[in-house]
Amino acid sequence: MFNETVLKEIDEIRVKYPDRKSALLPSLYIAQREFGWLSQEALLCVAKTLNLPETEVRGAASFYSMYRHKPAGRNLIQLCTNVSCMVLGAERLADFISRKYGVQPGGTSQDGRFSLVIMECIGACGTAPAMLVNTDFHDSLTEKRIEEILEKYK
Amino acid sequence: MITLTINEKEITLDKPVTVLEAAKLAGIKIPTLCYHEALKPYGGCRLCVVEVERMPRLQTSCTLMSADGMVVKTESEAISKARRGILEFLLINHPLDCPYCDKAGECELQDMVNKYGASAGRYKEEKRKVPESHKDQILARNMERCIVCTRCVRMCGDVQGASAISIIGRGNRSRMEPFSSAAFNCEYCGNCLTVCPVGAILSRLYIHSFRPWQLDKEVETVCSYCGVGCSFVAQVRDDSIKRVIPRFDLGLNKGLLCSRGRFGYEYISSPERLKTPLVRKHGKLEESTWSEALSVVAERLGHIKKTHGGSSIAGIASPRCCNEDNYVFQKFMRTVCGSNNIDSISRTGFAAAQKYFEDLLGQGITANMIDGLKNSDAILILGGDPTAINPVLGLSIREASGRGAKILVLGNAKGLERFKTLHIMPEVFKEADTLESLLIGIYNARGTRGEKPAIDHGIKSLAGKTGARTAVPEFDELMMTLLESKSASIVFGPDLVQRTDGHRSLFAVSGLTYLLEARLYLLSEKPNEQGVVDTGCVPDMLPGGRPLNVYDFRRKFEEAWKGPVPAEDGLTLFEIIENAGAGKIKAMYIMGENPVFNLPGGPYIKNKLQSLDLLVVQDLFLTETAEIADVVLPALGWSERTGTYTNLERRVQLQRKTVETLHGMEDWRIISEVSGRMGCKMSYTEVRDIMEEMAGVSPLYRDITYQEIGKGNCLWPYHGEPLRGEMKTVPAAADIEREHREDFYLSVEKPLFHSGTLSGKSPALMKIYPGPVLRVGASAAKKAGLKEGDKVQFFTQTGSREAVVSIEESIRDNRVYYSNNFKGSGALGLMTFTIDEVTKAPGLEGCEVKIKKL
Ligand code: SF4
Ligand code: SF4
Ligand code: SF4
Ligand code: FES
Ligand code: FES
Repeated sequence: MFNETVLKEIDEIRVKYPDRKSALLPSLYIAQREFGWLSQEALLCVAKTLNLPETEVRGAASFYSMYRHKPAGRNLIQLCTNVSCMVLGAERLADFISRKYGVQPGGTSQDGRFSLVIMECIGACGTAPAMLVNTDFHDSLTEKRIEEILEKYK
Repeated sequence: MITLTINEKEITLDKPVTVLEAAKLAGIKIPTLCYHEALKPYGGCRLCVVEVERMPRLQTSCTLMSADGMVVKTESEAISKARRGILEFLLINHPLDCPYCDKAGECELQDMVNKYGASAGRYKEEKRKVPESHKDQILARNMERCIVCTRCVRMCGDVQGASAISIIGRGNRSRMEPFSSAAFNCEYCGNCLTVCPVGAILSRLYIHSFRPWQLDKEVETVCSYCGVGCSFVAQVRDDSIKRVIPRFDLGLNKGLLCSRGRFGYEYISSPERLKTPLVRKHGKLEESTWSEALSVVAERLGHIKKTHGGSSIAGIASPRCCNEDNYVFQKFMRTVCGSNNIDSISRTGFAAAQKYFEDLLGQGITANMIDGLKNSDAILILGGDPTAINPVLGLSIREASGRGAKILVLGNAKGLERFKTLHIMPEVFKEADTLESLLIGIYNARGTRGEKPAIDHGIKSLAGKTGARTAVPEFDELMMTLLESKSASIVFGPDLVQRTDGHRSLFAVSGLTYLLEARLYLLSEKPNEQGVVDTGCVPDMLPGGRPLNVYDFRRKFEEAWKGPVPAEDGLTLFEIIENAGAGKIKAMYIMGENPVFNLPGGPYIKNKLQSLDLLVVQDLFLTETAEIADVVLPALGWSERTGTYTNLERRVQLQRKTVETLHGMEDWRIISEVSGRMGCKMSYTEVRDIMEEMAGVSPLYRDITYQEIGKGNCLWPYHGEPLRGEMKTVPAAADIEREHREDFYLSVEKPLFHSGTLSGKSPALMKIYPGPVLRVGASAAKKAGLKEGDKVQFFTQTGSREAVVSIEESIRDNRVYYSNNFKGSGALGLMTFTIDEVTKAPGLEGCEVKIKKL
């Protein structure tokens, strides 16, 4: 079950809406943050906290592809390879990350430290190539910069 | 008034309905797939499209409300093209395995494609593959056939309230699925199965065993499990019931069933059924012939009557038998044996409670339509979980909750967890205190109504006596909700009757009903508890609820029956048992009941019954009671005979004979055979004759005929006359002092999937719920260090059982629940009882338990 702080956080979301169903999607994000992905246990916790049927929670979660439906690493790298980034070498950077950290696009490194997802444009074309690590934004990437940045994510 | 034109036909409507419904009213059929009359419109399949003048594009008629001046066309070139296209899309991923699919022949998709579809599809790619899940032993879910109409999901969520399934994924990968394991939250009502238009949900009970067009016959009948009395059509092939189908236009259940009604019908063809009469010879039950067995019963009953008098004979009737059986039974006991010692197991709940309520509030106080629950604005639930005891009635409570009614639950009720507004958990043995406090609270706020002196006086003196209320959190809110409600209902289950001070709860509930002008519903575990009372299978009343000790009533029946009826009230169930053997009861005739297993204090009761000179048992199976009988007579069961049941709303309903049997006789026929051999010939040749006689003599069933019953409109009080007698003073017994000694209290679980021991003979119900477990509340378990799956032994003062622990979130206190449905186990056998002096119902005692981990 969620700890007190998380329960309070969900509560704060809940009071914003007249219907507790409306709090479902944001609560799923919180659950994902807490559990790393939307495991059965995570879904059950959300269902219980919002007093919604478990099936309804699972149905909603499974509809959206941006929730994680598989276990993910502790840190999620979302690297853009869309036009601007690609022109500036993002695909090479993807290879670099794969080699250096042992994580394939769509996969997770053995030590569970990183998951890598290849993204469409994340709106940073002007300072491409760009990536998101968890919720932090990084741009003007080079191999060296990536090494420095990822150093901070254990 | 709305006037619209559909296919050049002018239609006038009183209230706005959808275009689809308007068309239906005008006899115009529009094809649909996701629409279902019992469900909210969804607009998903788009097959019901129509053309509407001045509206762009085709419109889905199932979601479009009709408006004045609308001009609609339901068939046109464009519409056909659209439908053809939609069906082609639906078939893209459909396996087209009709030759192998059980639904073929009654599949809406098949019919639709046949009528509107293209002869070939243009899609050449791979079809989606969804491996069939074999996790569920009852429901076969084949998601390749699913067309994602969501009918099942809406049924399970909006109507059944179980929300056990949902649509998973999206786009062409979406499919219906249960949450995790197949049984997660599934109540096995099978209502999803009725609404699935294709072969995506099927029952494993009949899968691959017949084609819909191979059925021999269909019989409209009534479920035999509980007092709701749901109607359905039994479909028969080769003289066995293949499946039961509820119809949305049939009966009070309007197309819904619970697990027992839906999947429990196979008990009737159990190989364990009794086949021949048994007679005890040299201490052993031996197979015998009908003529020998019947003669033995007649002779020995006659002998006992002669030596000890009629009052040494007692009869136990059955709420599982029909009105006709029970009527003949009590007539036999009264006029042939000369005894009013007639009672039934309903004494432990329904009959005792009803008598109390009627004495205080008038006959018919519990005659309320189940459907009316939906219109209540507050429902107070006490004494058991209605969604398990009377599941289809429970659905009305869930529906009321959806309509905004306040659901106020006293005690544990798992099935209402997601629906309740307020939950109060009275302490064990303090339930009556809580209810009295509630009554006084309401009285203090509102005063009495001054219409019924006895009850007014009772409330006032209670208010004088009980000063402080029991401090239960949320008590004020409960009171306020009840005071604010305009149409309150009270749903009362059997558990609160089974207390030594049960009459106190009964008084409090009477008082609440009276002060709040509430509708009172009495839950009924067995199918014909009302009928048992109505037909006079009680020691103090003749058929129609006429008091035996009033000479005028008695005389009327004596004239009709052409024989004397003893004047003195007979003994109640437990008085009969107490007096067995050493006391004055020498012979007992038990029709369709198993007291040794179904009453508290089993070993004591067995002892008592064994000390009788004669014990006769009529039953379907060799029950624990039949095993110790002197003569056992095999009866016919549900679907093998015709007869009527009276449900808890007092609706008389007809059970029709559906299949033939080689063994056994109808209960009433066995009795009239015995009667004949005792020199009193009964002149019934078929069951209709009995109903005819009842309609003539019972003031409640006056003029009733099978024809009228078959139409489903035989509701209280028919053409009958209720009796408006009233209690003058409120009877009371001395208060009981108790100490709380143990950490846990044993309660009898009333599972949704079982009903008495009968359901144990149903292979399907045994798969769903195979054996007893000890249900412990989450917090109580934590305190005691118990975990899910722990093997334990639990002890009461009188016995112990081994069990596996199952943790149940919905149990909020230190009660532990163990069922009384499985042979060789059972909670009641571990308890003792004392009799409530007022109601004569047993108060369950000796429930304190110790739990030891193994
Ligand atoms: S059987 Fe009943 S509870 Fe189970 S999934 Fe079907 S509708 Fe829901
Ligand atoms: S399983 Fe049947 S009822 Fe449910 S969505 Fe699929 S086709 Fe519709
Ligand atoms: S609610 Fe009662 S009568 Fe209806 S199907 Fe279930 S057991 Fe049978
Ligand atoms: S293309 Fe990479 S951020 Fe826009
Ligand atoms: S029936 Fe109208 S959209 Fe399916």
